[in-house]
Amino acid sequence: MSNDAAHAHDDHSHGHPTGIMRWLTTTNHKDIGSLYMWFAGFMFLVAGTMALVIRAELFQPGLQFVHPDFFNQMTTLHGLIMVFGVIMPAWSGFANWQIPLMIGAPDMAFPRLNNWGFWVLPVAAFLLILSLFMPGGAVAGGWTMYPPLFIQGGISYDMTIFAVHILGASSIMGSINIITTILNMRAPGMTLMKMPLFVWTWLITAYLLIATVPVLAGAVTMLLTDRNFDTHFFNAAGGGDPVMFQHIFWFFGHPEVYILILPAFGVVSQIIPTFARKPLFGYASMVYATASIALLSFIVWAHHMFTVGMPAAAQLFFMYSTMLIAVPTGVKVFNWVATMWKGSMTFETPMLFAVAFVCLFTIGGFSGLVCAMTPVDIQIHDTYYVVAHFHYVLVSGALFSIIAGIYYWLPKWTGHMYDEKLGKLHFWMSVISMNITFFPMHFLGLAGMPRRYADYALQFAEFNAIASVGAFLFGFSQLIFLVVILKAIKGGQKATDQVWEGADGLEWTVPSPAPYHTFETAPVVK
Amino acid sequence: MAERRGSNLQAAKAVFWSFFGVRKKTHYEDDAVKLTPVQVIVAGLISLVLFIFAVLGVVWLVTS
Repeated sequence: MSNDAAHAHDDHSHGHPTGIMRWLTTTNHKDIGSLYMWFAGFMFLVAGTMALVIRAELFQPGLQFVHPDFFNQMTTLHGLIMVFGVIMPAWSGFANWQIPLMIGAPDMAFPRLNNWGFWVLPVAAFLLILSLFMPGGAVAGGWTMYPPLFIQGGISYDMTIFAVHILGASSIMGSINIITTILNMRAPGMTLMKMPLFVWTWLITAYLLIATVPVLAGAVTMLLTDRNFDTHFFNAAGGGDPVMFQHIFWFFGHPEVYILILPAFGVVSQIIPTFARKPLFGYASMVYATASIALLSFIVWAHHMFTVGMPAAAQLFFMYSTMLIAVPTGVKVFNWVATMWKGSMTFETPMLFAVAFVCLFTIGGFSGLVCAMTPVDIQIHDTYYVVAHFHYVLVSGALFSIIAGIYYWLPKWTGHMYDEKLGKLHFWMSVISMNITFFPMHFLGLAGMPRRYADYALQFAEFNAIASVGAFLFGFSQLIFLVVILKAIKGGQKATDQVWEGADGLEWTVPSPAPYHTFETAPVVK
Repeated sequence: MAERRGSNLQAAKAVFWSFFGVRKKTHYEDDAVKLTPVQVIVAGLISLVLFIFAVLGVVWLVTS
């Protein structure tokens, strides 16, 4: 940018490309944030459609629509894309848009790295979707990529490994950028313990990513060499151990769960104080609890694999450590409830989704405690109980908080208020249909219905039919959300700078929509 | 940074209370002024190791 002070007031960039080249070459954190959000939104439709294929097939017992092998491809790709292509990019989108605005920085620390970090994502997505059309179809062994299945498949398995490498590289680039931005570019006066909680949760998430994504990269590289270069890391016939893959994968995979949910805690901790018109109860304990959850997430991984066999002492260790995560998580839930206690609450759409998050995520947390008990887990492992558990955590947890965050900051991003009536309709449709979809899965799991099968025994028919109706309702309800967003982009009631009466923070001091360049002169935080 | 630095014991106490999830307000305010991030992170990692051994101790008690 020019050093010429006379141009410092300019709100737009001179001589920059327009049209598609603007988006390909942009280094602006708001542009890149928008790119991440649209990418996540598109992939949500792709992976959501896959979920509807799954639920259509499971509407009745017997095989109706798809071949069982294609069904397995759908479950695998649905999981991989929702985790790596929807939730993670959506959080990166929030990070890009909000972190500089919330800490008073003009942009991210490494703008070109930021551009690269985003633009490798569509390549990975292309590889994953293209793999569907390869001989033998896409990967079908589950999103966890367990050998031996994963070392036996065709070319699409190599494509998936490459896609995971790329997605991991993107995450590492994003994390380095976020950590550097937060630690070095905060406005004068904004000490660490004055940072908005969303920034805190992302800082801790970024460290989790840097610590765990290379572990995943190592695991899939070993898969790649097992597949193509005659190594036997995970091949028992050659002296390797397929169970070792599970340990390595879940050493990444469990912290990954917190990578998906910690920013959600941050968003909800921004929204609830705004609409309760009270400061967050126990800010410091929220920060401490987030750090504690992050540390504990590294010592619980084997609870995902109780059934593969391990010494009783190891089972007990992982059971106890897993249950203890409930302590800092409980601190958070009580803090949110205490923030709402005696607050002057109003229930605009972001608040509705945030309150739904607190209630429904807690259900997911409790069913997690049930799964943590080794003897119980051995009964319910790989059943629909587990499917119900992690969908309560990831749909009503991560996804609802993403939706809440979009409603909350959309007026700041677009300059227009969204349609509140449609927003509320979207909320009620989503929250009701989400429960219709996933609550019966607890019963299915307890009754013994295994996951990842295209067919099932007759006694599971009713709950499956209910779940499928709920899933289609949920899926189509999200089109309301798309309409709300498009309407807000096109026009509507002009948003004020502060947008929400109870909103507090640096992002609400800039105009709505946020200008292309903000905080070129750093604000001072008292 | 003009304030004097807090002791390592204070960092350990802050981390211990954070594992539990609560901290007296006056003590927290004192921590926020006196403790450095490095102290808290080191104390947190050491506490995690101690926590692992504590859980292992419970496991040993249960299985022996």
